[in-house]
Amino acid sequence: MFRIALKDLFARKRRLVTTAIAVVLGIAFLTGTQLPSVTLSDSIKSLVGDVYSGFDAVVRSPRTQETPFGQPIRTQVPASVVEQVAAVDGVRAAAGVVESPGPEIIGNDGKVVGGGFGPPTLAYNWIDDDALRIGALREGGPPTSADQVVIDFRTAESLGKRLEDEISVATTQDGVRQYRIVGISGLGDDGSQSTGVRPLIFTTAEAQRLLDQPDEFNYIVASAEPGETQLDLTQRIGTALPEWQVLTGEAFTAENQEQISQFVDILEIFVSVFGYVALFVAIFIIYNTFSIIITQRTRETALLRAVGATRRQVVVATLLEAVVVGLIAAVLGLAAGFGLAALLLRLLSGFFTISSSVPSLSSGVVVLAVLVGVGVTVLSAVIPAIRSSKVPPVAAISEVSVDRSDLSLSRRIWGAVLVVGGIALIATGLAQVGPNPLYQVGGGAVAVLVSVAVILGPLLAGPVSRLIAGPFSIGGRVDGRLAGENAARSPKRTAATAAALTIGVTLVTLIAVVASSIKASADDAISSSVQADFVVATASLASFGAIPAGAAEEIRSIPGVAEVSPVRFTLLRLLDPVGVATASTSTTIPAGQLGAPSDAPPGEDDFALGIDPATWFDVVASGDLEGSPEDLVAGTMAAERRFAEERGWRVGDTIPVYFVATGVQQVRVALIYDEPLGQAPIWLPLATFEPNALPLFNVDNQIFVTTQPDADTAQVQSDLDAQFADLPTVQVQDLQEYIQTQTGPINTFLGIVYGLLGLAIVIALIGIANTLSLSVLERTRELGLLRAVGMTRRQLRRTIRIEAGIIAVFGTLMGLVIGILFAIALTIAISADNPGVLKFQLPVTQLVLIVVFASLAGVAAALLPAWRASRMDVLEAVSSS
Amino acid sequence: MSTTPPPTAQAAAGAVEAVKVYGTGDTEVRALDGVTVDFDRSRFTAIMGPSGSGKSTLMHCLAGLDRLSAGRVRIGEVFLDDLSDAKLTELRRDKVGFVFQAFNLIPTLTAAENITLPMDLAGRKPDAGWMDQIIGIVGLSDRLSHRPSELSGGQQQRVAVARALVSRPEIVFADEPTGNLDSRSGHEVLGFMRYAVSDLGQTIVMVTHDPNAAAYADRVVFLADGRIVDQMEAPTAERIIDSMKLLGG
Ligand SMILES: Nc1ncnc2c1ncn2[C@@H]1O[C@H](COP(=O)(O)OP(=O)(O)OP(=O)(O)O)[C@@H](O)[C@H]1O
Ligand SMILES: [Mg+2]
Repeated sequence: MFRIALKDLFARKRRLVTTAIAVVLGIAFLTGTQLPSVTLSDSIKSLVGDVYSGFDAVVRSPRTQETPFGQPIRTQVPASVVEQVAAVDGVRAAAGVVESPGPEIIGNDGKVVGGGFGPPTLAYNWIDDDALRIGALREGGPPTSADQVVIDFRTAESLGKRLEDEISVATTQDGVRQYRIVGISGLGDDGSQSTGVRPLIFTTAEAQRLLDQPDEFNYIVASAEPGETQLDLTQRIGTALPEWQVLTGEAFTAENQEQISQFVDILEIFVSVFGYVALFVAIFIIYNTFSIIITQRTRETALLRAVGATRRQVVVATLLEAVVVGLIAAVLGLAAGFGLAALLLRLLSGFFTISSSVPSLSSGVVVLAVLVGVGVTVLSAVIPAIRSSKVPPVAAISEVSVDRSDLSLSRRIWGAVLVVGGIALIATGLAQVGPNPLYQVGGGAVAVLVSVAVILGPLLAGPVSRLIAGPFSIGGRVDGRLAGENAARSPKRTAATAAALTIGVTLVTLIAVVASSIKASADDAISSSVQADFVVATASLASFGAIPAGAAEEIRSIPGVAEVSPVRFTLLRLLDPVGVATASTSTTIPAGQLGAPSDAPPGEDDFALGIDPATWFDVVASGDLEGSPEDLVAGTMAAERRFAEERGWRVGDTIPVYFVATGVQQVRVALIYDEPLGQAPIWLPLATFEPNALPLFNVDNQIFVTTQPDADTAQVQSDLDAQFADLPTVQVQDLQEYIQTQTGPINTFLGIVYGLLGLAIVIALIGIANTLSLSVLERTRELGLLRAVGMTRRQLRRTIRIEAGIIAVFGTLMGLVIGILFAIALTIAISADNPGVLKFQLPVTQLVLIVVFASLAGVAAALLPAWRASRMDVLEAVSSS
Repeated sequence: MSTTPPPTAQAAAGAVEAVKVYGTGDTEVRALDGVTVDFDRSRFTAIMGPSGSGKSTLMHCLAGLDRLSAGRVRIGEVFLDDLSDAKLTELRRDKVGFVFQAFNLIPTLTAAENITLPMDLAGRKPDAGWMDQIIGIVGLSDRLSHRPSELSGGQQQRVAVARALVSRPEIVFADEPTGNLDSRSGHEVLGFMRYAVSDLGQTIVMVTHDPNAAAYADRVVFLADGRIVDQMEAPTAERIIDSMKLLGG
């Protein structure tokens, strides 16, 4: 029995491959992300361990706040503490470390190196002590004067720089200036490695000057005298300097390793989501293929039953066939995963030195691949297998080889239950009722999609197929008519084939609609509120302090300029007891950390803008103000209306606010506004902002400029351009360009998501090709007859292509409708929480493109089966049985 | 039997020294071994012979479904041997009608659509008068919108013959068209074919094993081992049986 099933399987190798390919792709994506992360975590851990191996203790400020961008922000430590640390018993040497973003390297093309993607540039100071210095010199020597710098070998290689060359660096202090490269360094003992950072190593004084933190360090490191343990040393320093936070070198290393692992974890989750989508699509294809094969084998099965095979044997044989397909897919999937992993590693080696570019295979990954491969395939084959066992022995002599049966009652009931249940799950999830809203929405969406495939699809497949075929049958054209009938003759098969495509298109549509709504809303908010004619902004959203101090003053002197309003931003923590959500720094002190704990009290983290009250309200429309901009003096703030209402704030209330730089401050609400920009719920006048923000944030991030009514705006723009011409870190944008840069990241994100979802669509197309090949096979005689009575090869190919087109359009349209419905549900849910934030907008052009692309791709999927069908021998076909 | 063909009638199809060899060496089979035959216009010819004698092969080669190993075949004035596949397909569509033993119809199309299939494939409109005439004779006016699965075997074969005739082909080939039918249904189909030749002036060549079926024809050609061994004008079932006894014996 088993041998029969296997024989059949291997006799049709092409079918085997197409069936397995969907699982292969899914597994490739799952394992492709697992394989490098094993290697990555390993190499990053050892690398970070190496980098900080010389630190026995680290002293830093307890004043800190978590940020959404990884590293927590923290105040500096005065230089005088270095001596205090050095004086502690057991300390062999101590040094202050400057480590901060700010300066940017300008490449040979005049643009910022990295520019938002790639390792960030950080400024460091040169440390004399060999053990405490991060990294090692490969060439040259240390910087000894303010105009000298040491860069790492990767930056040198990518810019083609050698020792004694000049390198352009943009800073807030000086604009763009040249430094002489006096040394080239790297990480690790021999300086051969690099982490996800581009270091610029200056003299200590120069580093501190550039970062506007004179006589201050970001943290202090110490190394122990021989025989002294890290813990003993740390304890002693902690006792001597109770006002500072002290931790062992090991604890510090672990903290850093943790942060990098988080980045890798996010990447891994992101990519594996698409693996799961691919597997979900694969289920439909495998199910469909097995269903068709088993129907085609009806007679064979009946014969087996007639000669004495039991039902169980029939089921087991089919499932064994599925196991074999699953195993083969797992092996191929692992191989493809290896390729994908190598690719990912290559990509990531732009950030990190990867110890080995060959992915490491762990037994866990192999087990995962086999479990998923076999599991998914067998699961998909269960229903067809059971159905095959119900074939009565008498079927051996009957004619049926196509499943044209109507939907069974139980199927209809199950479908209805799934639809209702799915919608209920989505609804409760969106309304945040129930244990896990996210899983509820996801599960509900899966249920709805499945029900569409098993019940709605088959019900619609017939009529819709004929409808789509309509235009192709005009004037009595038979190819269109036949294609429509062929798609309609087995609605279940057509629906299941189309369903695979539906899933991909649903996701693409959902994301396209949501993204377009977000963009439209942002566009709307900005264009209706920003009244500036120009915005001077940093070239990348991620760069700090790229606009030189004093730039705003210079802009004021440009003829024709009316108002100039600079904006800054920072993070703060509201300690208001009415706070809706409260975040708190971890209360458990990590092992190896001593001295003062983090002093941030629990509260709610929020972004705040620093504004100039005299000009800000002329460049940004802020609705009806409660209070007056003149009231925004030192020690006050403005709050967005809904934000204030939620917290019960009124003008005149005093709110405790925690600033990293200055600790808890009492700030009075002096003004309430309608937030138009969706950026920050709190505006601080510069009088409040400047004394309370870290130097890192105390720089202009954007400058809004309006022109006088009679001004020549083109002239103003060219004057502005001229002012910042030699500063590539800064861009002068008109309002339209500003909107584009603000919404630009959405497009980048969309591009990546589309690319990965494209995979699900490719799998679906393979499914269409697969179904058509099987259909062509089972209609051999019919196709032969058509050819015999005069159908040309071209007409035959066209018929099959139209059939594929019908399936593709059907699947795409279903996906489009469901995707839009999901998007509407999501918009409603978001709007329930934040009225007016998201405005529903259909990206019509994009959606039309999706339909056209998916349909054409469906037709393309039919090229091979159609070609094969048209090549077959007419005489053989008509006489086949 | 009211019209007799004019004596000068040009043959509708023919073969000259037709040879068809399957396989090579030990497995070589000469399915046709130098067949020369003409099928006159507006006549009904039956081909008979033992199983494996090459009847179907001859018919397939004449109809452009298969190619000869040597010799020539023609439909009307056109020799098929040097036509491309596309030209052969066109010729089958426009000049030849074909009726198989079974599975003649496309299951997804209605009876009417099956009948007009060759015309539709050619993108031509069937001649309405001719179409009505054929359908009337076939006697399926009330079944035209039915699918093949809703028709009896005899009805299906009559639809197939109607399809073969609808484009007024040069010639219709039928390979055991009644082989799967009971005798009553068989007579309905044969009667219709006879009528198409006698009253509509069509040309039909039919392979059959049944002497009673062959008796409907104007002429019978006997094949054995890939050669023409005998022929008979105005046959009757008895004479055919006698002849076959001679051949078989
Ligand atoms: N495709 C083929 N390959 C090899 N031999 C073939 C092929 N088709 C037919 N033959 C052989 O050619 C000979 C003639 O076959 P053909 O089908 O023409 O006989 P037939 O007279 O139609 O027989 P029947 O009355 O059984 O239908 C037979 O010996 C047959 O085995
Ligand atoms: Mg035959």
